[in-house]
Amino acid sequence: MVNTSAQTGRSRVLQATRKTGELIMDYFSKAWDAKAQGKPIAWITVFTPVELLRALDIYPVAPEHFAAMCSARGVILDYLEEAERKGYSQNLCSYSRGNLGYALSGMSGLMPSPDILVTFRNSCDVYVKWWQSLHVHLGTPLFVGESPYVLTVDDLDNYVLDYVVKQLEQLVNIAEKRFGLRFDMERFVNILKLSDRASELWLETLKLRRFRPCPLGGRDSASDIFPLVVMQGKEEAIEFYEELIGEVKEKVAKAEGTIENERFRLLFDGIWLWYALDLIKYFEDRGAVFVYEPYSEAWAYRLDASKPLESLARKVLANGLNLDIDLRIERFSESIKEFQIDGAVLFSNRSCKSWSVPQQVTADILTKEFNIPHLLFEADMADPRQYAEAQIKNRIDAFLEVLGES
Amino acid sequence: MYLGIDSGASATKAVIINEDGQIVAYAIVPSGINFKVSSEDALRKVLESSGLGSKDISYAVSTGYGRALVNAKHVSSEITCISRGIHKLFPLVRTIVDVGGQDSKAVRVDESGRVLDFVMNDKCAAGTGRFLEVMSSILGKPIEELSKLHFESSKPVKISSTCTVFAESEVISHISQGSAIEDAIAGLHEAIAERIYNMSSRIGFEKDIAFTGGVAKNQGFVDALSKKIGLTPVLPKEPQITCAFGAALAAIKKQKENV
Repeated sequence: MVNTSAQTGRSRVLQATRKTGELIMDYFSKAWDAKAQGKPIAWITVFTPVELLRALDIYPVAPEHFAAMCSARGVILDYLEEAERKGYSQNLCSYSRGNLGYALSGMSGLMPSPDILVTFRNSCDVYVKWWQSLHVHLGTPLFVGESPYVLTVDDLDNYVLDYVVKQLEQLVNIAEKRFGLRFDMERFVNILKLSDRASELWLETLKLRRFRPCPLGGRDSASDIFPLVVMQGKEEAIEFYEELIGEVKEKVAKAEGTIENERFRLLFDGIWLWYALDLIKYFEDRGAVFVYEPYSEAWAYRLDASKPLESLARKVLANGLNLDIDLRIERFSESIKEFQIDGAVLFSNRSCKSWSVPQQVTADILTKEFNIPHLLFEADMADPRQYAEAQIKNRIDAFLEVLGES
Repeated sequence: MYLGIDSGASATKAVIINEDGQIVAYAIVPSGINFKVSSEDALRKVLESSGLGSKDISYAVSTGYGRALVNAKHVSSEITCISRGIHKLFPLVRTIVDVGGQDSKAVRVDESGRVLDFVMNDKCAAGTGRFLEVMSSILGKPIEELSKLHFESSKPVKISSTCTVFAESEVISHISQGSAIEDAIAGLHEAIAERIYNMSSRIGFEKDIAFTGGVAKNQGFVDALSKKIGLTPVLPKEPQITCAFGAALAAIKKQKENV
């Protein structure tokens, strides 16, 4: 009989995780309801402050999120190829390519067409050019928020913060004038409280992954993050995270892990490969569970509703990709200790240079400071044509063997 | 007797060794499109040449791309197998550079042959045997002749593209501009050596160095890579079977563990 390497017991996803699909579908279907009621739809990049839009009764949807979902459901090729037929190169970011393909082919899918395009340049340099292209193709009004790079934690309190606050106010003014809406501070404060609660629950849940065996694996975190990406400030997000943390705490109490025999605790650095999420199970079947990903923390931010605009501006500034590398390294190093990492998987993502360029810095920290083995492989986050499955699995097998020997 | 089968992207290798880890027989067959068929083929050939029957094999370990399709008791990764094989042959080796049909890899091992670190090529085939196979067919020269022609070159051409498809058009353009075929071949060897050197530099070149894999049979390539690294490597007598040999050594270990 063939023994396909060290297959260890079963692995399973959480009950709560299974509900994310329905939750997200519901979010998109309600976007169509909003559209039908004449409410403005905003296409946003994923680090745009949705709380502000929500307070204005603008319905935000995120094309990056939509592209990831299309990729996970195996339907993104139609949009990628549509963009390529229109002249967009395969070398471009697959989220932008997929979205431009969607925008150029009628927008009849799950995501309704935009009435305003809102982006903040706080994590990705492509955002602005992508949103500008949409603006030209669709003729939709465009708002570009500028957010300076955070060099020291002081920037979260000085003129840099003021600058972002001014822009949030400007966004409110533009939206009020354009759509005849009225910004309601009381409503806004309430939304911030709801958003903060969802972040609090999620951060607390992530902390529970420090337990052995780890109660929440990569297949969970890859899905469970979505309510926090687009549903910040909504009761449904809080309900979801309350249920999730309840289930995870139960598992911790019963010492039940994602996998039966936890051999290796891994860190995943990068955006997930949406079309190949079963790769996470490939690791789990071999006794390796993901216990920490910087990606999973990206949208969690504690807000102070007593200083609403300032606090939200800080959130706009403080996402990982907009932070100084030393601040990022500090968090990374803490996590390696906190989650007792045995090895790291670094996904060099053809689409995302912001994430992939500094990965050698990360790799050096792993090797020199912690003597932790890592595996770096190349693929794309959303475009399945850039993925060599047999080759990647070959490397994973070798990596896990090395981990087993060390 | 112990069997190691390396079901590679390009060739399938089978090695039989005795209790002392000495090679009794080996076979190399093209992998074709069916790993199962080629592994059976390699097994039949190696049994034939050793005069043994399948009942004489006490344990078999498979490795390579088709590892799970081969009828073996245990599978192991190529990285571990190559390290095991080289450690048996050359215990002083600390860095192994292996170039096969679809993958190239560099492995750093300690004094006991344990893997410390490894790096493999990205998803592109330019630094692998496939690259040379494509080029040899374009130039109309069999792969076995590349080495001889390499040493006849006086002025290797510079191939700047790292993409197999673009390098192909670059070679064609060099030839059409009057470059000699042997200069194109030496240029190709230098291009692939450069790429493998860059990749392997990530883990460093601690002495001694060994080259393995099918492409290490090509002396022209070995020459180009040695010059690039600036060190003289050791090579197994048959570099292509190192990984299968390591798998057979793993079979001895497995058998002992099971007793």
